[in-house]
This record gives sequence, C-alpha cells and structure tokens, in this order.
Amino acid sequence: MGLDFQFRNKRIAGLLTVLPSRELLFEEEMDNYNFSAAKSMKLKMAMGYNKHRIVDEDTNVSDLCVYGINHLLKEGLLETDEISALILVTQSPEHFMPPTSNIIHGKLGLGHNVLCMDINQGCAGFILGLVQAYMLLEQKSIKKVLLLNADVLSKKVSKRDRNSNPLIGDAACITVVERTSDDCEINAVINMDGAGAHVLQIPAGGFKYPSNGQTSQMREDDNGNFRSLENLVMKGDEVFNFVQKEVPPMISDLLAKSGRTVNDIDWYLFHQPNKFMLNKLADKLGVSRDKMPANIVENFGNASGATIPTNICFNLGESLLKQSYQVCFSGFGVGLTWAAIEQNLGNVKFNDIIYF
Amino acid sequence: MENFLEQMKEILEVDNINGTDVLIEFEAWDSLTQLSIIALADEYYNKTINAEQIKKASTVQGLYDLIK
Repeated sequence: MGLDFQFRNKRIAGLLTVLPSRELLFEEEMDNYNFSAAKSMKLKMAMGYNKHRIVDEDTNVSDLCVYGINHLLKEGLLETDEISALILVTQSPEHFMPPTSNIIHGKLGLGHNVLCMDINQGCAGFILGLVQAYMLLEQKSIKKVLLLNADVLSKKVSKRDRNSNPLIGDAACITVVERTSDDCEINAVINMDGAGAHVLQIPAGGFKYPSNGQTSQMREDDNGNFRSLENLVMKGDEVFNFVQKEVPPMISDLLAKSGRTVNDIDWYLFHQPNKFMLNKLADKLGVSRDKMPANIVENFGNASGATIPTNICFNLGESLLKQSYQVCFSGFGVGLTWAAIEQNLGNVKFNDIIYF
Repeated sequence: MENFLEQMKEILEVDNINGTDVLIEFEAWDSLTQLSIIALADEYYNKTINAEQIKKASTVQGLYDLIK
C-alpha cells in the first residue's frame, strides 16, 4: 500500500527548466534503426514521438544546473543566502565520487552551511526529491531547498535502439521549495519494489561490472535493437504492465486519504514515458486526457525525473504566476519505484523554460 | 474467438487470419505490435501478459488461449 507522508506549511515557490538547444527529429535518426521506415513511422504515431532535446558531448548535469541557478540569481528570482540545500536527483552523476551536487555547490561558490545531497532515482525522482525537500524544511535552519532534477541519459542510450533512443531526452529542472504560513496539506505516497530492479537498468560500467572491451560490444536483441551492456536497457512490456497495474490504485488511495475525488484535481502532472502509456493511464483513472498532459516526450523527450517539472513549465507556464491549482504529481519507473503527491500548486514567482 | 480475430487483424494489419498463423511471421510484427497485444489483453481481457509469454504462445490460437 506504500509509505505515506503528510506535510503542512510547505510550497513550491518557483520552477525553471533548462533544456539543451540541440533538437533532433525522429525522422533524422530513423535510418539508425533496423526497421523499415513504415514500421518506424507507425511507432512514432502510436507513441507520440517527434523531436527530442539532447546535450552535446561536453555538457553534463552540473553545467545545466549551474546555468539555470545563475539565471535565477541574475534575474533576482533567487538570493544566494536563501539557499540552504541542493538536492540533486540524477542517474547521470559526473563521477562515482564526489557527489555532483558538491560540484554544483563549488561552481556556484556557495557557503559551508549549504547541504549537498545526490539521490539516485529516475522516473519518480521529482516525487522522491520533493518529499526530501519537505522533510528538510521541517528544520528551522533550512530556508529554501533547491530541488535539482537533472539527467543527460542520452549519453547512455544506444542510437540503434528503437526501444529507447526516440524517447530519451536531457534536461535539468530547478524547483525552489520553501515554508509558507498557508496551512495547506500535502499528501504523498512512495512505493518500492526492488524485485523489479532489472526492468530498467544500465548493466555495466559500475563497480560490479566495470567497463571493458566486452561490455562495450554492440549486440542485437530479439527485437532487432542494437545495444551494449553499457547502454540503458528497458523491458518495455514489464514497464507497461507494472504502471497499468500499480499506478491507478495508488492514485485512488492517495485521493481517498486526502479526502478528494478524481474531479477535485485540476491537473494530473505525471512522469512522461510516452503518450500511449499516459493515455491508457488517464482512461483507467477515469480522468479526462485534457487534465493529464502527455506532450513532453513529443516535444523534448523523456528526461527521467525532470519530466514532471518540465511538464509544469511547458503546460502551465505563466498561468501559474497568478493562479493556483489542486494537482497530483506521479512518477513511476526505475527501481521499481512508484510515487505520488497531492498538493496545491500556484502563485509561484517563476515558471519558465530556458535553453542551454 | 471471432471478436479476438477481428482485433488481431487490426493490430497485425491483415485481411485474413487463421489460428495456425505464426505470430513472428506477420509482416507488421515488432515491439509495437507486441505492446498493442499486451494493452489489448489488459484492456479487453483483463489479463496481464508479457513479451516472453507472447513468444511462447507462438501462434494466433496460442495467443488466444493465453489471454481468453
């Protein structure tokens, strides 16, 4: 049934998404795949693939995060001395050690009283990170928490893998989280199932199977996709089944605990695996598809934990500066992890997209 | 079975289909077709199946036996 959390007097103060300038079209990469153009176009239509944003070789998580934070500081949307913690949720750390959040801290020249923490989480990374931020804000010493959801996983995806390459995207999102005097209730739930840890993984390149000549060899799988053991591999069928089975009851339970009905929620801001899966989820939950945006993959690609804040910036945009909504966030994937938050979102200071 | 065959004709993009037809031999067979079948099983037959089971089912009839 999941682990429940409840918070009060916390809010999201602003969101900024940093996207790579480089944009690739599905058609441009179609020749890399071992499938006819007709078949690939069919996949494009069904999954809602179109274009995605990919960093260049030299760009990493800290570059995107520092660029975004500096933008906020320069525009006067954030003050350096308000920052008490950097929580970086990423699966593309720059090194095994030190934590990438410390690298960001160093590049920004932040003080010794700023906590740095890397969390290794993917698709549910916005939920896990927000829960962590809300917990930190229970401490009086914490002023504002910067939640950084950033990934450049395109570097680990085989260009010849039609299963993952068309949908992957890179992005960094900065969410400023703070205390508020508004006595608004936030309800969250987190579920884990490590028995499914193999469903989404990068098999080699870590301590257990270090990179060597063998791990980088490209091999063809049953479905005609080429990848090496150092590439991201996803069991699409298992992911689909797990999401359809676990997510709808989790959302129903969360709403019941919050004393709300499906229709009380203005926006269902979910992780973005592909349009196909999200539309099925909306139908299962009995939520109108208009209330569950599914357009992030077709416009930018799926950047793991960054998709929910990107979804907020892209689909709610400036309306969030003056309005507030009752929202439900949900992320699901690698781990396996599935989690959700029901809360109020709005009257933020900024909600914008910039390009690196 | 009749309804199932109609649904399979649509997914596999063919005008005629037989129980003995081998799944991987269909021109349209790929990961998307498999996902469409998994989604169909979930939505219309309330049955959770995976790619491995589809592979083992082998034929159209085998698939019907799996999800009915």
